[in-house]
Amino acid sequence: MKIRKRKRINIPDLITCIVFFGMLIFMSVMTIVLPKQDFLEMENNYAEKFPRLSAKAVFNMTYMNKMENYISDHFAGRIGWIKGRTVLETSLGKRERNGIYILSGRLVEKIPEPDYASADKAIAAINKFAEKIDIPVFTMIVPTSAEIYADELPENAPNADQKEFISYVYQNLGRSVNTIDVYQTMMSNRDDYIYYRTDHHWTTKGAYLAYAAAGKKMGYAPVPLDLFDIEHAGRGFIGTFYSKTLYDGIEKDTIDFYHLTDGDRVTEVAVTANFGEEPTIRKSMYFREYLSVKDKYASFLGTNMPVVDIRSENGGNKLLIIKDSYAHCYAPFLTQHYSDITLVDMRYINIPLGQVVDIEDYDQVLILYNASSFMTDTDIRKLGY
Amino acid sequence: MVFSSLTFLYFFLPAVLIVYIFLPNKINVPLGKEKALTIPARNLLILLTGFFFYAWGEPFYVVIMLISTLIDYTAGRMMYKYDNDQKIRTICLIISVCMNIGLLAVFKYSDFIFDTINTLFHSDITNPVILVNRKINDIYNFGLSEDRVRLPIGISFYTFQSMSYTIDLYLRKINVQKSFIGFTSYVTLFPQIVAGPIVRYEDVASEINDRKVNISKISEGIAKFSKGLAKKVLLANNIGIIWTEVKAMDYSTMSASTAWLGILAFTFQIYFDFSGYSDMAVGLGKMLGFNFPKNFDHPYMSKSISEFWRRWHITLGTWFREYVYIPLGGNRKGTAKTLRNLLIVWGLTGLWHGANWNFIIWGLYYGILIIIERVGFGKILEKLPSAVSMLYTFLMTVFGWVLFDTDTIGKAWQFFKAMFGAGGSFADSMAKYIFSSNILIYVICIFASTTLFGNLMSFWKKKKKRVYAYAVPAAVVCIMLLCTSYLVDSSYNPFLYFRF
Repeated sequence: MKIRKRKRINIPDLITCIVFFGMLIFMSVMTIVLPKQDFLEMENNYAEKFPRLSAKAVFNMTYMNKMENYISDHFAGRIGWIKGRTVLETSLGKRERNGIYILSGRLVEKIPEPDYASADKAIAAINKFAEKIDIPVFTMIVPTSAEIYADELPENAPNADQKEFISYVYQNLGRSVNTIDVYQTMMSNRDDYIYYRTDHHWTTKGAYLAYAAAGKKMGYAPVPLDLFDIEHAGRGFIGTFYSKTLYDGIEKDTIDFYHLTDGDRVTEVAVTANFGEEPTIRKSMYFREYLSVKDKYASFLGTNMPVVDIRSENGGNKLLIIKDSYAHCYAPFLTQHYSDITLVDMRYINIPLGQVVDIEDYDQVLILYNASSFMTDTDIRKLGY
Repeated sequence: MVFSSLTFLYFFLPAVLIVYIFLPNKINVPLGKEKALTIPARNLLILLTGFFFYAWGEPFYVVIMLISTLIDYTAGRMMYKYDNDQKIRTICLIISVCMNIGLLAVFKYSDFIFDTINTLFHSDITNPVILVNRKINDIYNFGLSEDRVRLPIGISFYTFQSMSYTIDLYLRKINVQKSFIGFTSYVTLFPQIVAGPIVRYEDVASEINDRKVNISKISEGIAKFSKGLAKKVLLANNIGIIWTEVKAMDYSTMSASTAWLGILAFTFQIYFDFSGYSDMAVGLGKMLGFNFPKNFDHPYMSKSISEFWRRWHITLGTWFREYVYIPLGGNRKGTAKTLRNLLIVWGLTGLWHGANWNFIIWGLYYGILIIIERVGFGKILEKLPSAVSMLYTFLMTVFGWVLFDTDTIGKAWQFFKAMFGAGGSFADSMAKYIFSSNILIYVICIFASTTLFGNLMSFWKKKKKRVYAYAVPAAVVCIMLLCTSYLVDSSYNPFLYFRF
């Protein structure tokens, strides 16, 4: 007779199997059934779309890569998982995450040592540009919060010396370029709210201080601060540094608009998104629809566009600004002194600048970048063409 | 596909395992009155999922694996059929071995060979493989690399495994595998196909034909897999970031402490990454009913280099011993031949890790260290206090990793100089920052690479059997939660074995 011996099932073993497979199945089912978002707002990124199957996509592996990205971007509870990791790491004393330092009251960017050889090329391009044209060229490189609050960084944390970098650039710019140094201005106002705590930009206050400091060199009398009504337009702003860390321990930011008490007299703002297309015309420099989305900084003249024209009834000169996004909350102040301001973003320009705007039509040119983007930018070299 | 990805963990793995568990080993399909067709259902599932798993990362070169498998299977059948004709058996073996070595030569070593020839003779010969790729691209537009030959993932693992089958069959150590599905499922078994362990056919011969899957085996597998996943995602990836940063710095101005912290980070990264992969493979094997051999056994606790290599990538060492060292005569043919054999084996071991001079030098470095131990230094090491011989072995291994991972011999030399102070300072602010912001991960890695952790666990298991048993599922949940949160935001999750 055969005796069937049935092994008793070990309870802890059974629990192990149930929790393991239970978790895998639960998360995969949730990932499949939960609604999908096209835009990962918290992370300020477009989510991967569900890939289309084709022989070509399989053989060059784009299908697999996209599928893995799709699963990662739409993984159930994605934001919660990432925040969980940040909470764990910060509670274990880590002060750095995805290239962002977490300071006690703010997030700042970890900026690697600048590549001076690359900076030399940018400098040469600006020099060449300034010599070629007949109008005064100004350059303003603004230090970022990582430099101004460097003393709050973790001990010995690697951090590029922006002061040294900016003075290197200024020393090597030729005589045809007027440099505007705002380092001291920012440093001496560091206790003021001049940089966002969760974003890489300067605040409207920071931009105002630089605008006031630049007046003497550029030849205008800055409007005193008390003539502005300050509107706290966008509360609860969480910026790009937040997106990289998803760290909740920092106070949210506020977007301020500075309105002149007697009106800013801006007639129109023309935004050119693509060459050859008619620009979109707006009546205000403040694009209020962005106040209700995550990237609230875009309420200053929108997201980065190739060309933006601001025309005002304030008589005066015409100014061309070659810029990064730091100029967006800076330009509104200048409308008091220029009838026409054109902002050009070299990152989106692939034809010679002379074909984009009539350079000789302007009275002044301002090259405005923050130090961090100037260190890595390669598009400014196009100025030399 | 890699194990440490959301796609594998949350989609591939549960889908495959659940079907697998509820499938019987064999299904009998009645055909007419007395006949029945037996389908090896589980092996078939392993074969199909293995192909899918492999093709996910290698959609084109999966063909090469199929061809290699087909030839080895046929060679096996022929050897069986002409059991009495030694000539035919030998020819079969030669074909199989030449084909496998040939695949390695073409896809792994051809660029290296032609580069070496071109440098030696100042010639400019194009690798014929590239010419073939160009031709194929002209006709089919597959987008094959026209510059360097791309290495098919895992080729060094599966060719070695297939060879173990034909060689052992020739030596009459094992029985033939008559089922094509059976043999192919051995090669494509997804747990071990891309990064080992190198499972010899002998190791799993009986399990290929019949194996049992039950709750206790699955739960054992889950525990082992989770342990491996934690090693890879929590330890290796986190300490690996440090090495990635240090490796990219300028060695000529690097402080000695930065260099040491950097190479120590790699020392732990490669151990936890590789042994983590092996643990995951062993665990997955258990879930499928296989018992794979152990691949790592606390190698950084070794008291000599010879011992280190008995504890590091054990299946590779076994392979070279069984199929190269012993056939060459091992140590039984006098001192001169033993030395020759050791140098051959270690040169090849180095070369196996990548087609580059630094890997050959790295292998020979170990060959020389082992020869030194053989001629007497080993005796001295035994007499020294354990701490001293362990430190010696560990330091030698760390120096080895410099050769291994700095890409060129010139860079390795630069890095060695930095380790001994040529960068000018002992510790700069960079070193202090790396140390202070990562001290925890170094401490955990040191602790986890000793036997201390395992000893504590078995002590606990003995004392409080019940509590320990319930702690396992709790630990699995914690590991899965932590690893998932690291994988969802995985800016750094490298696959280190693309050169193998």
